[in-house]
Amino acid sequence: MIEINNVEKRFGSAEVLKRINLKVEPGEVVTILGSSGSGKSTLIRCINGLEALSGGAIRVDGHDVSTSAGLAAARRRSATVFQLFNLYPHMTVLRNVTLAPIQVLGQPRAEAEAQARALIDLVGLTEHADAYPQRLSGGQRQRVGICRALAMQPRYLLLDEVTSALDPEMTGEVLAILARLAAEGTTMVFVTHEIEFARRISDRIVFLEAGELIVDMPTEAFFSEEGGLAVPRIRKFLSKMTKD
Amino acid sequence: MIRSWNALEPHLGFLLEGFALTVAACVLAVAGAVVLGALIASLRTARSRAARTVAAVYCDLFRNVPFIVQLFFFFYGLPELGIYIGAFETGVLAMSIAGGAFVADVIRAGILSIEQGVIEAARVFGLSRWQIFSRIVMPNALRVSVRPMGSVLINLVLTSSILSTITVNELTGTAKIVAATTFMPFEVYAVLLVLYAALTYTLSLAVTGVHRRLNRGMPEAVA
Repeated sequence: MIEINNVEKRFGSAEVLKRINLKVEPGEVVTILGSSGSGKSTLIRCINGLEALSGGAIRVDGHDVSTSAGLAAARRRSATVFQLFNLYPHMTVLRNVTLAPIQVLGQPRAEAEAQARALIDLVGLTEHADAYPQRLSGGQRQRVGICRALAMQPRYLLLDEVTSALDPEMTGEVLAILARLAAEGTTMVFVTHEIEFARRISDRIVFLEAGELIVDMPTEAFFSEEGGLAVPRIRKFLSKMTKD
Repeated sequence: MIRSWNALEPHLGFLLEGFALTVAACVLAVAGAVVLGALIASLRTARSRAARTVAAVYCDLFRNVPFIVQLFFFFYGLPELGIYIGAFETGVLAMSIAGGAFVADVIRAGILSIEQGVIEAARVFGLSRWQIFSRIVMPNALRVSVRPMGSVLINLVLTSSILSTITVNELTGTAKIVAATTFMPFEVYAVLLVLYAALTYTLSLAVTGVHRRLNRGMPEAVA
């Protein structure tokens, strides 16, 4: 379980996250919605330890991310997929996927490569296993990003606007894979602007507004007239986002 | 003209001995400069402020003092400190230290050019600081910096001629002697020109090879 308790994050005088409370149970898909600058990505970066908390605590299966031992344990349980892919540019697709399993989990190379090839097959990049990331399209790169995360066999998958840098066709490629993972019961924290997709795969929707968590509801309730749509801010957000 | 070239023949062996010494000094100094440069570059981009300061002072100091002054400083200074090493060793040391300052600057630029997101990814996947440095930061930094580093190293090879001023009879040193005994400076220095050019050309070929290898898979414009 990922527990986020009273988390605060300040950059100088700017309060980016204000007393956030959130729990993600194993098997859940929780989508975080909100306009740009609402703190969604910062929240993900707090969970994976890229940002230090200004207040509160985050525990991943009980491991406090603010201690170095806790963070190391938390990082073994979760894996992140990034908006701009952040693949290792000097390594082939296969090496991108096997680096952490070999170096961090201590998997034997042969085993790590067999697993990586299976994942690469799964996302339809079999012929590109030995290519370098620069040779791939954005959608292909993000599929590698997903393989790299899955190779760590994470309990929690953190997805930080993973389709925001992709055109609609490539977005489709990536979402298809995520839908399959969700159906298989992968736990996900999903920051996105893909509202229709979020509606299809999420168990719960969380809405952030200017660093505050204003709504945390089951997906169905979030999109119902008496639930999320009853909140003016969310109604406005949804009408804007679904218009285009 | 032909006669004079023949007159040089008895001295060729001596010149080649000098060349061998130059090659030895350069190979050692290039290795030393690269290792030292990588180390200083990593200190310059380290978290610790003290480490960054030490490295910055090192770079500024050794890039802003003429090499011959540094060389004399080590050659006459080390014995004062009770450190007795040969002239050749002193020369290699001075070249490594001076070259390291320039190499550090080039590698540092390479390190700073790495996208922060790539390093963040490595951190999130649990790689240790050493693993990130050795497997992500350095390979990418070298990829960008190996070409400019080539210019620095070629300069270092050319600088090796100054070792003749501290009694090391490397190529330039032997040439001075041969020129003085044969009164054929033009012919002697023509040989020198060819040998130095061969040495630096070999080095630049090696640099290109390393550059290609490190930039496999990169778009042509970058490679």
